[in-house]
Amino acid sequence: MVDFIQNCLDGIMLGSSYALLAIGFTLIFGVMRRLNLSYGPSIMVGAFVGTLVYLEFKANAVAIAAATVVGAVIVGIYVERLCFRAIRRGAAVASMVSSFVIWMQLEEIVTVVFPDRTYFFPPMVTADPIDLGPFFFKVENIVMFAVAAVMTVLLHWLLQYTRFGLALRAVSENPRAALFMGINVGAVMFLAFVIASAFGGVAAYLIVSADGQITPLFGLWATFKGLIAMMLGGMGSIPGAILGGLLLGVVEAQSIWYLGTEYRDLSAYFLLFLFLVFRPGGLMGQLAVERELAATRRV
Amino acid sequence: MLEIDGIAAAYGNIEALRGVDLLVEEGGITCLLGPNGAGKTTLMMTIAGILKPRRGTISFLDRNITGMTPSGVVRRGIALVPENRLVFPDMNVHENLVAGAYLRLGKRKSQVQQDIDHVFERFPRLQERSKQMAGTLSGGEQQMLAVARALMARPKLLMMDEPSLGLAPLVVEEIFRIISDLNADGTTIFLVEQNAHMALQVADHFFLLEQGQVTFSGKPGQLSEHEVIQRAYLGKGPQRNQPAADQGRPDRTTLPSG
Repeated sequence: MVDFIQNCLDGIMLGSSYALLAIGFTLIFGVMRRLNLSYGPSIMVGAFVGTLVYLEFKANAVAIAAATVVGAVIVGIYVERLCFRAIRRGAAVASMVSSFVIWMQLEEIVTVVFPDRTYFFPPMVTADPIDLGPFFFKVENIVMFAVAAVMTVLLHWLLQYTRFGLALRAVSENPRAALFMGINVGAVMFLAFVIASAFGGVAAYLIVSADGQITPLFGLWATFKGLIAMMLGGMGSIPGAILGGLLLGVVEAQSIWYLGTEYRDLSAYFLLFLFLVFRPGGLMGQLAVERELAATRRV
Repeated sequence: MLEIDGIAAAYGNIEALRGVDLLVEEGGITCLLGPNGAGKTTLMMTIAGILKPRRGTISFLDRNITGMTPSGVVRRGIALVPENRLVFPDMNVHENLVAGAYLRLGKRKSQVQQDIDHVFERFPRLQERSKQMAGTLSGGEQQMLAVARALMARPKLLMMDEPSLGLAPLVVEEIFRIISDLNADGTTIFLVEQNAHMALQVADHFFLLEQGQVTFSGKPGQLSEHEVIQRAYLGKGPQRNQPAADQGRPDRTTLPSG
């Protein structure tokens, strides 16, 4: 029983980083109704920018984290301009395919600039695990959870209590109607992309510094984790992204403990499979059809 | 108040408006009637700044607003109640109204709250449901919300695109009562409708739009309601003398055979 609870706690802390990834995904999907496959790779580039700052300047953890976030945001803007702004609305598949192409491009660039592939990434803290009764916590996991919690609260405040948040929600619910309110839909989409990239950058820093290393494959990994967590929670739903991330973390932690490390990803895919069959809308999501119906109810 | 002069607009290669001239007088209710596909909604989109016209000019209160951005048009004082209402389903009624006043939100918060109180006086049913998600409202309530939301922009001209669409007859009557009330309180209204019977009862002036062109302009009563309805639904003017079999698809005869 102690093991089970310990796994749940570990899973929640691991899952909080998945939740950040999924929030980034879901923000972009919610506002644009388009899938950004190069989300993972663009934050991977951010993490390599952090590595570069570390290698060149032996910078401290704060500077590395800042470099990672800034790098992720800049690459995110590049992706937005190329794959989303330049391609007209309604051509969702074209955007998705071109974001896939940019994914390949980003991976190639990183492989050329960083030929050794695997690089050391400095940990954010070096401290012994904390014991609390029968349970123990790694400090970096606690930091991961705390940062994720603070960012989620900030995002909630931004969405619910600010003018920009109102505009963002309006655009994600109905971009056409948002235009009629005088909302600058293009600008809102751009800012949503920037926020999503910043979330991704923070998640990347937390995950990579906990791992202690970075490879170009991190992009693929981050896309998978974020995408699965988003789909578990329901596409476009932020509470869903958080729940989906935590659920994914817990399931992975349990399967690592009871089945072995090699079952970690397999169990994640199995969970996704179960959801797609039995609850395709995810935990919090509605199917698009239902939303349309609710918006234009007759009589 | 609103002058539309020779507007042509197209989706890709399909020309939806072919030189529309139209005038909306200040203080009245102007109606635009016409069959499906005549270009009514396209005209609304063009005025609202969503669609850029190929030719022609639109001026509002003697200022040229052709090709202006949607937010610029709203700022000038034109608000649109869109077809199918398009309320924000996962926001509550209050939030929908606040979104309607989006352009004033930064500087004049207290003024916005006053306007919301004002709108609630007019639509007590919305006040009762102030915390309810808009997606859970009935169709009629959603239509009221869409009107109220547009009013939150403090428009000088309120454009409404098919407000009776998909509503029960009693609800339609209520919506038209609201339209008359709003007009009596000084809002100029430009109404696009399929429901010619109801529209002619409230209109001061009406236009018929057929195949992207205005084919009639006048006061209700200048054309028999029977003829208006026929043209508004079937889009077939009496000037074209075609065999009965071709009613409703007048272009058939001009196509090459085979």
